[in-house]
Amino acid sequence: MASSFWKALVLVGLLALAHAAFSAAQHRSYMRLTEKENETLPIDIVLQTLLAFIVTCYGIVHIAGEFKDMDASAELKNKTFDTLRNRPSFYLFNHRGRVLSHSPDQASFIPCARALPANPVRLRKLEPLHH
Amino acid sequence: MASVSELYDVTWEEMRDKLRKWRDENYRNSEQIVDVGEELLNEHASKLGDDIWIIYEQVMIAALDCSRDDLAVSCLQELKRQFPGSHRVKRLAGMRLEALERYEDATKLYDSILQDDPTNTAARKRKMAMLKAQGKSPEAIRDLNEYLEQFVGDQEAWHELSELYINEHDYAKAAFCLEELMMTNPHNHLYCEQYAEVKYTQGGLDNLELSRKYFAQALKLNNRNMRALFGFYMSASHIAASPKVSAKVKKDNVRYAAWAASQINRAYQKSVMSQPLMSSFEEMASRGLFGPKNMC
Repeated sequence: MASSFWKALVLVGLLALAHAAFSAAQHRSYMRLTEKENETLPIDIVLQTLLAFIVTCYGIVHIAGEFKDMDASAELKNKTFDTLRNRPSFYLFNHRGRVLSHSPDQASFIPCARALPANPVRLRKLEPLHH
Repeated sequence: MASVSELYDVTWEEMRDKLRKWRDENYRNSEQIVDVGEELLNEHASKLGDDIWIIYEQVMIAALDCSRDDLAVSCLQELKRQFPGSHRVKRLAGMRLEALERYEDATKLYDSILQDDPTNTAARKRKMAMLKAQGKSPEAIRDLNEYLEQFVGDQEAWHELSELYINEHDYAKAAFCLEELMMTNPHNHLYCEQYAEVKYTQGGLDNLELSRKYFAQALKLNNRNMRALFGFYMSASHIAASPKVSAKVKKDNVRYAAWAASQINRAYQKSVMSQPLMSSFEEMASRGLFGPKNMC
């Protein structure tokens, strides 16, 4: 999740925006009461609105997470056939894994069948084995 | 045996996120999934919340791959307890029967799902997978064709059909399936490359030219695709070596092949360890082993 600083920034921006909106509404009703309806909004309310909007947008961009490239093929550049040719709905199970992998009732059948011996040197990161 | 979290020094959240990544990207590293998933389910089940059910499913399928029937049965029981009468769980039970080679029982199960819900695609696909597992490729192809007439947009099925055709050496139909895939995924360089390879295998001058073009397209989409680069080199060399082409086409293809060879050399030069590989490639290229003169 995004750091709390950016979330706090978005919150501050939204509150400032709400405050500016409220002041604008109040200013409008004041103008109506004092019958000076031709005066425009005071500049500080306008500035506060714009600034709060920019701050909120900036904060949201940081909360939004990783941006993807515009180029549709960019995210496929790292894909290989290793993963693309796997079709989960059509998986077959009659492959060598049945015999090669360690199975409790076959352990006596195959004397040295132990899956993944505890060898920390061989496996440094939790990545698929063929990478 | 040391637990996964001790071996790699990871927290349970990282394990859960890894499982999610493997699930989303269709990794089939079943032994690792079984190790990580089993530990996650045994030690941290209470912290997983609703994710636990999809992890049960993922671990169960991986357990079937590793012939861990005990683990598969326990996952299945948990899922049955939580979702009684669910078609998805029934399908998993059917997959377990398939893994045990009890194909008639599995067929009965899938037929009962289809009776309840004739539009259930998962059960239909499993029936086709069973035909493939039993080696009945022609029936599988026929069923898959019927399925695709109804569900034209199913990309997985098109890809599966193309593989079935390739295994039957019916390259023209395999190319058609890959064309469907390329139409719906124009930015995927791997489909372009696979199509080009099928065309290259078909042989004949037109197909070689087409394959060269699609290898080029795959390279345009992803300039790091080495296999497409090699394919481009080979198709260009074959066209250049063919006796039936005009001099201009021959010259163009010799130029393409030379460009591809230089790109390959450059790519391998970047990796220091491949000096022996580079020299053997150059030797074979100079001996004309990549462009025999009696093809096409």
